[in-house]
Amino acid sequence: MNPPDLDRMISRVEDLPTLPRTVLKITELVNDPKSSARDLARIITDDQVLAARLLKLVNSSFYGFPQRISTITGAIVLLGFDAIRNLLLTTSVFDLFSNRQKISMIRQEQFWDHSLGCAVGAKVIGNHLRYDKVEELFVSGLLHDIGKIVEMIFIPDAFKDINQLIRDDNILMIAAEEKILGYSHPLVGKLLAERWNLPPKLISVILHHHQPSEAGQFVLEAAIVHLADILCRSLNIGYGGDNKMPALDKMAWDSMRIKPQAIESMLAEINKEFDEISLFITYTP
Amino acid sequence: MIRLKIEELKPGMILARSVYNQQDLLLLENDTSLTKKRIWMLKTWGIDRVSVKGKSQGEGKGDFEAEIETKETIETELKAKFADVIDEPVMQEIMKAAGRQLQKSLIDQEKENEPT
Repeated sequence: MNPPDLDRMISRVEDLPTLPRTVLKITELVNDPKSSARDLARIITDDQVLAARLLKLVNSSFYGFPQRISTITGAIVLLGFDAIRNLLLTTSVFDLFSNRQKISMIRQEQFWDHSLGCAVGAKVIGNHLRYDKVEELFVSGLLHDIGKIVEMIFIPDAFKDINQLIRDDNILMIAAEEKILGYSHPLVGKLLAERWNLPPKLISVILHHHQPSEAGQFVLEAAIVHLADILCRSLNIGYGGDNKMPALDKMAWDSMRIKPQAIESMLAEINKEFDEISLFITYTP
Repeated sequence: MIRLKIEELKPGMILARSVYNQQDLLLLENDTSLTKKRIWMLKTWGIDRVSVKGKSQGEGKGDFEAEIETKETIETELKAKFADVIDEPVMQEIMKAAGRQLQKSLIDQEKENEPT
């Protein structure tokens, strides 16, 4: 039997925010093998805000293209369909949540930094492991804690109690959630991700980022985000809701075959890339 | 505790009191250490003075000594954060490496804080 709060939340799943229509349309197009760069460009240019963001992003140092890219079609050809979808998903997601709740500014800003740090971390680890779709990892990192935002919006009173318990007992948020709610943010995040029809890989990473070895065929992806979470917490990038380190899933760590000596260079890379990217993907509540 | 003008704030200083905007919305909680981005954020909200930890040494302008994050506080904070997982050798490795990276950022920050 589900705890009453979760039942209520599931029953209200229809009230959960939906993705902007443009992003949904783009997702459809990306999945359609017959679609062309021109089809995609037409949809993006219809949305002035998305178009401007996309050009800003592709021209940032994050991608490091030597020439200025001034057309949407040019951006699509250079980055590819999947990368574009992920970029737009990235920049759209946090818009959904802004101005919904009168919560502390630092909370929002710091939470956003934690997500962005984790996204950068997943990308850096992915590059290190020569994973071929690092853009996907970036989005997974960005969304891994989305369940916490849902809790903040839908069960604000319980969320306050959770935060009080974290302050009193100095424990991980997931432990406080289990104590107070009987479930935790990975499950809540999974419900939202399903509602948004996100790809199964992404849903699995959100659900298993604390125990990646349970992620079945997506162990590697979940393990990468799990490690990214630990690394950016160790660097004090943003605030994930508590001041503790999640326990390392040893099986998942072993599956990545990362040499301990490689950790420091990854940390340095995360710090550097985070500083660069946070200058232009700034969360403005 | 000392009260400083926004122009006198430097990264690494620690807030002694929470900062609210004109609508009484909490902007930053006390005990928050300031970063360049946060100082910029306070400016954009039109905040002109905040209280930071430290003591004033005289009546004159600039006669104060603000507490700034140090090598020691970095180490203490890391140890507290890793306390429950430190038996795991990989986590020990991460903690040590993160400590070195944080010290490095601190040194870079100090350089930026030096008057030019």
